[in-house]
Amino acid sequence: MKCKACSREAGENGYCELHIKGYQNIIEKYNVWQKAMQISWKEYLSEIVKNPLTGDWAREVAESMIESGEKQDGTSD
Amino acid sequence: MEKYTFVITEKPDAAHRIALALDIKERPKKMEENGVPYYVAERDREIVVVSALGHLYTVAEERKGRSQYPVFDFKWVPRYLAEKSASQIRTWIEAIAKLAKNADTFIDACDYDIEGSIIGYSVLKYACDGKDQVSKRMKYSTLTKEELEKSYAELLPHLDFALIEAGLARHEVDWLFGINLSRALTGAARNWSGKYTTLSTGRVQGPTLRFVAVREKAIRSFVPTPYWEITAEVEIDGKVFEAQYEKEKVETKHEADAVLNTCEDKDGKIEKIEIKQSQQPPPPPFDLGALQSEAYNLFGYTPSRTSKIVQKLYLDALISYPRTSSQKLPPAINYEAILKNLSKASQYRSFTAELLACRELKPREGNREDPAHPAIYPTGGLPARVLEDSERRILDLVIRRFMAVFGEPALKQSMKTHININGHRFLLNGRQILKEGWIHFYEPYVRLKEIMLPPMEEGQTVTVKKMMLISKFTKPPPRYNPSSILRRMEETEIGTKATRAETIQTLYDRKYVQGEKLTATDLGLEVLEVMEKYCPTVISIKFTRELEEEMNRIQTSNQKKEEVLAEAVGILKPAVEKLKKNQKVIGEQLSEAIRKARTDERTIGTCPICKTGKLTILYSRKTGKRFVGCTNYFKGLCKTSFPLPQRGIIKPLAKGCRGCGWPTVQVLAKGRRPWTICFNPRCPLKEGREKKE
Repeated sequence: MKCKACSREAGENGYCELHIKGYQNIIEKYNVWQKAMQISWKEYLSEIVKNPLTGDWAREVAESMIESGEKQDGTSD
Repeated sequence: MEKYTFVITEKPDAAHRIALALDIKERPKKMEENGVPYYVAERDREIVVVSALGHLYTVAEERKGRSQYPVFDFKWVPRYLAEKSASQIRTWIEAIAKLAKNADTFIDACDYDIEGSIIGYSVLKYACDGKDQVSKRMKYSTLTKEELEKSYAELLPHLDFALIEAGLARHEVDWLFGINLSRALTGAARNWSGKYTTLSTGRVQGPTLRFVAVREKAIRSFVPTPYWEITAEVEIDGKVFEAQYEKEKVETKHEADAVLNTCEDKDGKIEKIEIKQSQQPPPPPFDLGALQSEAYNLFGYTPSRTSKIVQKLYLDALISYPRTSSQKLPPAINYEAILKNLSKASQYRSFTAELLACRELKPREGNREDPAHPAIYPTGGLPARVLEDSERRILDLVIRRFMAVFGEPALKQSMKTHININGHRFLLNGRQILKEGWIHFYEPYVRLKEIMLPPMEEGQTVTVKKMMLISKFTKPPPRYNPSSILRRMEETEIGTKATRAETIQTLYDRKYVQGEKLTATDLGLEVLEVMEKYCPTVISIKFTRELEEEMNRIQTSNQKKEEVLAEAVGILKPAVEKLKKNQKVIGEQLSEAIRKARTDERTIGTCPICKTGKLTILYSRKTGKRFVGCTNYFKGLCKTSFPLPQRGIIKPLAKGCRGCGWPTVQVLAKGRRPWTICFNPRCPLKEGREKKE
């Protein structure tokens, strides 16, 4: 199975070794963002894609999540 | 023919200095043997001083076979047999051997450290027919006449064989790791792609790359989180100051808004004023790592550049031996004499006069020690030539630090004012130097900003001019810079003071890292991933440090070199076998990263015309000439192209043109200053230039 964010081999969550940490950070940090700004999952993803401090790998994961409509729990729209 | 004393030094400049110091008339004769310079000094007897050119001998495999691995059999050979570019070494060794024949006394006068000891030992053993066993040793920390004469008069009776043994072990272990791991990586990539690219890793290089790669992964996976800062602009005595909310980071917008709303249009009251005084002792004298760090922070010089500069200053007898880890200045260096000599330079006269007027000169020292040399200090000598700017700066830094260590502690005062604005506490901080102490001597290099606050008293009311809410985000961990990576290597005790800067440079040369802030490239990350997957022990900090400790024990407590080598091979052998077994997969992984690295090297930036293609350096099939073209040309979408100079190296620049934002390249051509090309024919900067013309 290919990684959802690039063409490398994917592991358990559908992400490769490079993107898995970005994926974990995105899931983990949503609670902080939600508490801080009361924003939805979709708004959160687009905020971190726009943010210049977001790392490249995390941004690629966020972009692929927006595209596929992937939710915080791993399900899709 | 009368017999003479034969002195071997590490570098030609040192040979000249030593001959000058030992010749009774300070006029040694410069001679040549087949183009190799040497000096004849007259003293109690004739002394022939000849230099090596750094290492003349090196470790090489027992049987030749450039790409064979694993290899565990090695021998020490003249460098010209192992390195194609070292052909000059043959003449040098022959000249040394000839000069040694008529000598009856041998002295090793190479730098007193691991590398210097190996250089002297190998020359005496191999080129001088086993004279390592009868040779005496000169030990000195500066190339001043006084110290060299003293060192010659008080020769050590023999070479420091424990130090040499430790050094030999270090070279041999490093060779075993370097040759086997590098051949495994290079061979795997070449077998897969058919193209040759040098890939290397080693005992110290691997863990150093790991530091950078771990940081890079954290940065690339980083997700920022929001927070808010609240500031109150308060007016005290007609002046405006910014007071910070006591909670530095407010984590929710709701809380931040609530504080802001409560404080707006309200006056503040000074609740408490805390005043603290503290003494700051002088910094310790420089060891090499601290000097490299300071030079990077102050002047932006990389550690390897600073190493080269201090080496020149040492050879000019302006500073003491720089490759030291000591933070001690023993009285034997004669503080007073150095200060008196420094007072000959007008810019230091008033400072040295102050210090010489002190009842006692006692330097502040650090904890680190080096058995061979003291901390870096100026000799007090004045430059006999016009120094380059960079040399002048480093010399001034060393001189001022030397004076500063004798200074008194600085006395500082900090003031923390608590201002209550409608129930919320804001802090206004000030700091001031009450007594300069050592700062007086080190002043140009002290980065301390004073914040002076007006006189205030508790209970005083202050006007709040404005409340400000600043939205911020957490930042990723910072990338290493050449100075902080060097400090990390020091802290984890990997590598030696003499080789760390070189290891960092190798990471750049191999294109594993790029940029002033060390950014791991995809190739660097792939190499590390391969190492982590197939031979994690080799790049583990723990293993590297343990091996370092064992090598140190050869010098200090009778650990046998053979035991250390056997242990290293025990770790290395299975690791290399695993790499060999998986070379096909590794080759594919590395080849892809190499291909991408080559493409990235040629990519200049996004095409400003079609906005989707990339401007890339291409070569014309017809003429072979290079030019810049858009990658969308191959899809028939964009015909953008620009000419390029045909000579020199073209380096794409990460920053766009400051006039128009278009991609730019830098051209590096021999004999010319590097220049930047912006490809925009209508760039406002070019228009400005045309108008001027």
